[in-house]
Amino acid sequence: MRIPLGWLRDYVDLDLSPEALAERLTLLGFEVKGLERWGSEWRNVVVGELLTVEKHPRADRLSLTSVHVGAAEPLQIVCGATNIAPGQRVPVALPGAVLPGNRAIERTEKMGVVSNGMLCSGDELRLSVDGEGILILPAGTPLGTALTDLYGDWVLDVDVKPNRGDALCLVGLAREVAAVTGSVARFPEITLREDGPPIGEVLAVGVEDPELCHRFVGRRVSAVRVGPSPEQVQRRLLAAGMRPVSNVVDATNYVMLELGKPTHAFDAGAVARDARGRAALVVRTARPGERLETLDHVERALSPETLLIADENGPLAIAGVMGGAASEVGESTADVIIESAVFDPVSVRRTAFRYALRSEASLRFEKGQESRLAWIGADRVTELIATWAGGSVAAGRIDTAPDEPVPARVGYRPARVDLLLGTRLGPDAQAALLARVGIATEPAPDGSGVVIAAGATPRSVAVAPGEARDAVVPPWRRDLLVEADIAEEVIRIAGYETVTGKTPDTAMPHVRPNPLELRDALRRALAGAGLTEVVTPALVPGSAAATLGWPVLAADGVPGEAAVDGLVVTVTNPLSERHAVLRRGLVGSLLDVLALNERHGRGDVAIFEVGKGYAQAPDGTPAEWWRLAFLVTGSAATPAWNVPARTYDLDDAKGIVDLLARVLAIPDPAWVSHLDGAPLHPGRAARAVAPGTLAGLIGELHPSVLAAWDLRAERVLVAELAISGLSAGQLVPVRVASVGRFQPCERDLALVVPEPLAAADLAATLRAAGGDTLRQVALFDIYRGAPLAAGEKSLAWRVVFAADERALTDDEVDADVARLVSAVASAHGARLRT
Amino acid sequence: MDLATLTSQLRALGEEALPKIAAAPDLAALDELDVAYLGRKGGALSGLMRGIGQLPAEDRPRVGVAVNEVREAVEGALASARQRTSQAALAARLAAEAMDVTTPGRPIARGSLHPIQETISRIAEIFGQFGFVTYEGPEVESDATNFQMLNIPPDHPARDLWDTMYVDIDGGLLRTHTSPGQIRVMHAEKPPIRALLPGRCFRYEAVDASHASEFFQVEGLMVDEGTSLADLRGLLDEFAHAMFGAGRATRFRPGYYPFTEPSVAFDVGCLVCGGTGCPACGRTGWMTILGAGMVHPVVLQHGGIDPERYQGFAFGMGVERIAMLRHGIGDVRVFLDNDLRFLEQFR
Repeated sequence: MRIPLGWLRDYVDLDLSPEALAERLTLLGFEVKGLERWGSEWRNVVVGELLTVEKHPRADRLSLTSVHVGAAEPLQIVCGATNIAPGQRVPVALPGAVLPGNRAIERTEKMGVVSNGMLCSGDELRLSVDGEGILILPAGTPLGTALTDLYGDWVLDVDVKPNRGDALCLVGLAREVAAVTGSVARFPEITLREDGPPIGEVLAVGVEDPELCHRFVGRRVSAVRVGPSPEQVQRRLLAAGMRPVSNVVDATNYVMLELGKPTHAFDAGAVARDARGRAALVVRTARPGERLETLDHVERALSPETLLIADENGPLAIAGVMGGAASEVGESTADVIIESAVFDPVSVRRTAFRYALRSEASLRFEKGQESRLAWIGADRVTELIATWAGGSVAAGRIDTAPDEPVPARVGYRPARVDLLLGTRLGPDAQAALLARVGIATEPAPDGSGVVIAAGATPRSVAVAPGEARDAVVPPWRRDLLVEADIAEEVIRIAGYETVTGKTPDTAMPHVRPNPLELRDALRRALAGAGLTEVVTPALVPGSAAATLGWPVLAADGVPGEAAVDGLVVTVTNPLSERHAVLRRGLVGSLLDVLALNERHGRGDVAIFEVGKGYAQAPDGTPAEWWRLAFLVTGSAATPAWNVPARTYDLDDAKGIVDLLARVLAIPDPAWVSHLDGAPLHPGRAARAVAPGTLAGLIGELHPSVLAAWDLRAERVLVAELAISGLSAGQLVPVRVASVGRFQPCERDLALVVPEPLAAADLAATLRAAGGDTLRQVALFDIYRGAPLAAGEKSLAWRVVFAADERALTDDEVDADVARLVSAVASAHGARLRT
Repeated sequence: MDLATLTSQLRALGEEALPKIAAAPDLAALDELDVAYLGRKGGALSGLMRGIGQLPAEDRPRVGVAVNEVREAVEGALASARQRTSQAALAARLAAEAMDVTTPGRPIARGSLHPIQETISRIAEIFGQFGFVTYEGPEVESDATNFQMLNIPPDHPARDLWDTMYVDIDGGLLRTHTSPGQIRVMHAEKPPIRALLPGRCFRYEAVDASHASEFFQVEGLMVDEGTSLADLRGLLDEFAHAMFGAGRATRFRPGYYPFTEPSVAFDVGCLVCGGTGCPACGRTGWMTILGAGMVHPVVLQHGGIDPERYQGFAFGMGVERIAMLRHGIGDVRVFLDNDLRFLEQFR
């Protein structure tokens, strides 16, 4: 809320600088987000007196004036306005002035006559909304004075939190200022001359639904003259961020900013009369089919929950939200009905959302209203209308619920307040602090409990005699309900800075496994291997999954880490189509990152992400699971003068998975051909399988996917993996095997096999036939070409034999090797390459 | 052969050998000279020694002495010549192997970790020193868990503080903060509780330099008998000093959240101007880094904890905000953009 300090001073005495006041309010819970010098734009605008006003010699519409601005020589200024006369004091923009909107004023020539500046309208200065005539200043305004010194003001932009609707006004903030400065806030004094007929003869109000309209106060002013408000009022409204409209409408806005009380003025001429000739209003919900053109000239179909102010002909206004166009106060309005009501906060909030019409009024209603303000606001608006627009005020007011509620009492235990705050204030200091914001305290009656929780799950606790006190809550405060609220009020007034910090000295919690441990270990290993971690949005386009076609369940088979192949989770109010659904996998996001970096001219990309997939389970509940995905493309080695160039290929990608397996202390995963194709190269895709611990899909992306993502890269390797413990697991300790004392025996076998035979199948046969002394089978070369026949390849293996307790003899190893050779010969038709 | 002849021949041999050894260019030449003079078979010295047998017995010892003198002289010359030539050879090899040592080394590839994750790790490490344990919660929450359990009933004006994205699951929404995790931890653990909850959050918020629709928070929760606002202040001071430097000024002021009472906003002295006031801190000298407060009794009740016996505090901070202040980052959008030119600076 924008608070002009000059206006605030009407309600509280201030001897603080604007900066000091801003800091005090911030430390009181009303954060000052901005401190603006309003009127600082009027550089080089001063007060002048018109000496002469004559016709311009060559232009009928212009006047030639001479203006005294306190300097020796009068200035000659050309002016187009018609409301000027000699003797008037007016704002003069001197050459060099820059008006609001960055309008620079220079010495110019107009139709052959030099003009040494400009006479300003209120609108040009943003001092009023009058753009027609020159702003005529009061006769005694000192000549030559800078306008900013006369009308400039400091404006605080105060962040009033939703629980403090009472402070969403000048009087409310004046109370807070008074609490910290020790002065007293002044409520505006209201003086009404009620010279009209008794209100009961000219206005009738029926409330059909008192649950939604707790109180309705009506007043009436007849024979008003609708016109502009006084200039000071316009200035204040403008400084506070509201546009002046007319004296009647401005009166309602002025009171809303002053007291926090939204009111509404109806043109009484547009309200139907009852049999006794009274303007008759009724507060009711909308009937089927009813429509209303609101003040913004939008015709709205009204839903049945909408609370209305209506007459017998139909709706006049949406209660607490916006008036209707038909009963709007305008230049022709003679009689005005003032509505000052208290509506149900939830109803107003829902209605404002329903019609997307959240207004300054609805914002205040939905935070709750002090009941008393219904009549005070009605009286204040009536007073201001009568003062600014004249007219005759009907005697008395309609008031549908004149009994004021009894002040609320909130019990609190001073000792508990100190315990919660970690302070040692004691009962008396607490009471003194509370008194500064109008909260009286007294001993709680014996037998009364203390409410520690309210709302849907209230809780009251019994207290010992003399342990508790009652805080008597001022009628404007709606945020003080339980003991903890009183504690906050105590420390807020004392100052949060008076809390002396200490490190906790209570019992420590139990040790719990860190859910990030395994994830962090894998992340660090990948970064060490040259991959850069990315964090990408979880919300993706609805079409992303279909475009990529990555199988959600490809990484399944790891206990505790399963995905759900259900419906995507769709955002019903997305910010954009690009962020419309929760992703089911990470690979598409990595492609987006590659695309972005390609656009920056970057072709070498090695990235990974640990993130979640999401879907709806068949029973409609949300499911989330963790995956690790990586993408590598371009140069596999950091380009350098001393590094041979090499691009990433499938073996690099498999090596990365093997690295993860080593971090997890599990055997290297097996590779199984993945022939399903999309979205991968049909001949370069594999499933990684380490039973129970790791599963996933890895491969080179299909060229059609590269095209769909508009990527320049030719070969892009991707993988998405499910890993046991990725969601919340720990690293499993390594179990060491004893280091053998006896030298192992190595043999090399080059086996010629048919081309289609998978290396993994041959290795499996070797391992199965190896016996208990076979320690290792490792592929070290693949050869194709002469003297081998076409369709043959030679796979060269190093096999290692060892025993724990003895040295192996050559004869033993020769027999083992012979067994291996005969096993692969019979299983695969393999022969030794000689 | 008589004694005099033999002696003079020995002397001549020595006089001939020593200059040759001294002049030998390399080890091979020395080896040749070694064989030529000292070789057992056919060496010059061996040849002369064969004449010893023809001498009278009384002369033989004198000749023996002379032979040994010559042998030792030649052997000594050979040894020192060998040392000289091997040193020269080594020096020559090393000279030939000289490199331009000013060329850049061979790079070892190293990736980088994302600043969001690393900031979360740093936060967890600091609070971990105070016994705070890390937990995680789901990102698709419900109106009940994201709002109602946190003392934010339907149609409460405070809901304006969280613009929410809803999903096509009955009552489902994307969590707007990590605070629902408070309830989950309270159900899973008994006091004493010291919990930290990092994670991704979502808001229906137009994206600009300081607003993101997806972002990360870290929630903290401590509940025990007598845990007070003073504990919160002390702990947050420790955190601010660990994260932003030991001398960093801090400020404790009122805030507002429906799920805490009293509520707190926590500021640190501006990291740009140090507190004198600048555009970055709105000329206040302070920057807000997190919101906090004493857990509202209603929230404790929803967590199954007796608010009459226990009290506690909670805090929540934006990970991006902390990372931006820590690393001098001016635009929140860089975190999810993943421009490698940005990310690789964290190597």
